[in-house]
Amino acid sequence: MYKTEVRGPLILGDKNYRQISSDIIAPIDQPIPAWWKAVFGISMLATLFGLYAMYKTVSEGIGTWGVNNSVGWGWEIINFVWWIGIGHAGTAFSIFLLILRQKWRTSINRAAEAMTVVAVGAAAIFPALHMGRVWLAFFIFPYPNTRGPLWVNFNSPLFWDFIAISAYLLISASFWYYGMVPDFATIRDKTTSKIKKAVYGFFAFGWTGSSREWLRYEALSYVLGGIAAVLVVSVHSIVSTDFAVSVIPGWHTTVFPPYFVVGAIFSGFAMVMTLMIIIRKIYKFQDYVTDSHLNAIAKILIFISLIMGTAYATEIFIAWYSGSQYEMFTFFKNRITGDYTFQFWAMVVCNAFIPQLFWFKKVRQNLTLAFIISLFINLGMWYERFNILITSLSKDYLPSSWTTYSPTWVEVGVYIGTLGIFVSGVLLFFKYIPMIAISEVKSILKGTSINKNDTKHISHE
Amino acid sequence: MNNNHIIGVFDDEDTLMEAVHEVKKNGFEIGEIYTPYPVHEVIEAMGKKSRFTLAAFIYGFLGAAGVLAFMYYTAVIDWPVNYGGKPTNAFPSFIVVTIVITILTVTLASLFTFSVRAQIYPGKAYILPDARSTDDKFVMIFDKALSGNKTGELEGILKEKGAVEVYEKELKPQK
Repeated sequence: MYKTEVRGPLILGDKNYRQISSDIIAPIDQPIPAWWKAVFGISMLATLFGLYAMYKTVSEGIGTWGVNNSVGWGWEIINFVWWIGIGHAGTAFSIFLLILRQKWRTSINRAAEAMTVVAVGAAAIFPALHMGRVWLAFFIFPYPNTRGPLWVNFNSPLFWDFIAISAYLLISASFWYYGMVPDFATIRDKTTSKIKKAVYGFFAFGWTGSSREWLRYEALSYVLGGIAAVLVVSVHSIVSTDFAVSVIPGWHTTVFPPYFVVGAIFSGFAMVMTLMIIIRKIYKFQDYVTDSHLNAIAKILIFISLIMGTAYATEIFIAWYSGSQYEMFTFFKNRITGDYTFQFWAMVVCNAFIPQLFWFKKVRQNLTLAFIISLFINLGMWYERFNILITSLSKDYLPSSWTTYSPTWVEVGVYIGTLGIFVSGVLLFFKYIPMIAISEVKSILKGTSINKNDTKHISHE
Repeated sequence: MNNNHIIGVFDDEDTLMEAVHEVKKNGFEIGEIYTPYPVHEVIEAMGKKSRFTLAAFIYGFLGAAGVLAFMYYTAVIDWPVNYGGKPTNAFPSFIVVTIVITILTVTLASLFTFSVRAQIYPGKAYILPDARSTDDKFVMIFDKALSGNKTGELEGILKEKGAVEVYEKELKPQK
């Protein structure tokens, strides 16, 4: 139970229900601000550049990339894993915190889920392009075909990956959407514009908030929350098997699934922090996303950062303890020292050391610093994936095939394109969708405010 | 058809609940209650139960059995492929796909069930007695025909228990 006396009210400003609706809906009714148009324009340019790079890849082939026989996976897989990691925030926030009865999630889960859907969508581009002949991508569906029928290999991590990513995208998108239905109804009933009434009315699916609707809505949210909690763990575990099932030094390790899952939640929470600091600054949502919300995220980040540091140390220890000269070489000659020293230490510093600054209350409360640290974490997580992929692939068992890797402009272009897709997706979310779950915030208002009716304490969890 | 309803509008859930108990005690049948957010007491007072968890379990069971059977059929019966001498019925590694597809089945089938049972679907003609109930008001409605000649008494109870407005309205579906 949330103890207001100890932790302070969750929603500040002594709001009533009506104020909550109008505060959160306000950005939808206001005219589009100039900064929004500018940033959207830039992100559209980035998207167009990315589309051009994708066109190059498809029309000319994978040869336009810097990947070669040894380093078969380059920036594409780094960025794929990076985006999927960021995409873990939504489920981690809405589902883990729902199950743990954390009421502070209500101000943040909508934005985290939106980010998840866009990030996973951006991630899915990479493996599809990496197939080379993207027009044959449907071969991965196990359907009765004229090639035998030759079925897909159900033992292959690459197939698991396909299943995991598409299921994750579908499930998080539907979870997100159904959470928005009551809020769309609120907009439908509050707006004065006829067009908005019609559009949001359509998307509200005829929601009225009757008891029979809420009964099923609640039942559904617990079923989905319970079952989808598995996804938080399973998706990135499956992504990690892409590596762990192989015999490449540095990949062939049992620590990978938990290590990847924790890393994913780490980058997801960092991205949520980045996004929430922006949202509350620009849209003046300080009463909903309070300092104590950000404080809570910062504390989780310290904890996860410690796990990350432990995981790095474990990997290095096991490389030595295994007695395998290949593992020893990868970790000690090709990561800690060697060609990729910078990337390795960038990963360690950004993920294991910099977030430790959050131990200081002054740092947690200084939002500029918190913002910068959250960006550093995502940079560090990018380096982590670089480190795992490139160091292991560039120098494996056979010294005659050792090589180095650097990306071409096409690979960089595809990445910039996905950044553009992500930013424009998030901007559209800012403008057209209530950024905070209105009905959920209303349901926690009474239980977590100072001025609550003392005679009756009602919890809606 | 006469579809007149008596509508009581309340400002918060506590006064609403007091009124709910009072009208029930006096033998009136509540038509429906509309709230801006889920209020468990309201759901309990309306006396409805959901068998959602059972349905979800059945979907999950069928999904898991279905996908395992499918993989067994394709990988063992229809076209067995020898991957480095490993058994074609690679049960442990089938579990990965089974888990994910089970979750997907449960999610999609549950959403569909929700849509059917709660009657939430695109283009639905809905009945919303008071549009403020999706914003900040708690609305209780009564079928006027059912309350018969005790309408006055009912309105009295609602007002006495703190309704900010009590009025009559003919409900029509809107799009």
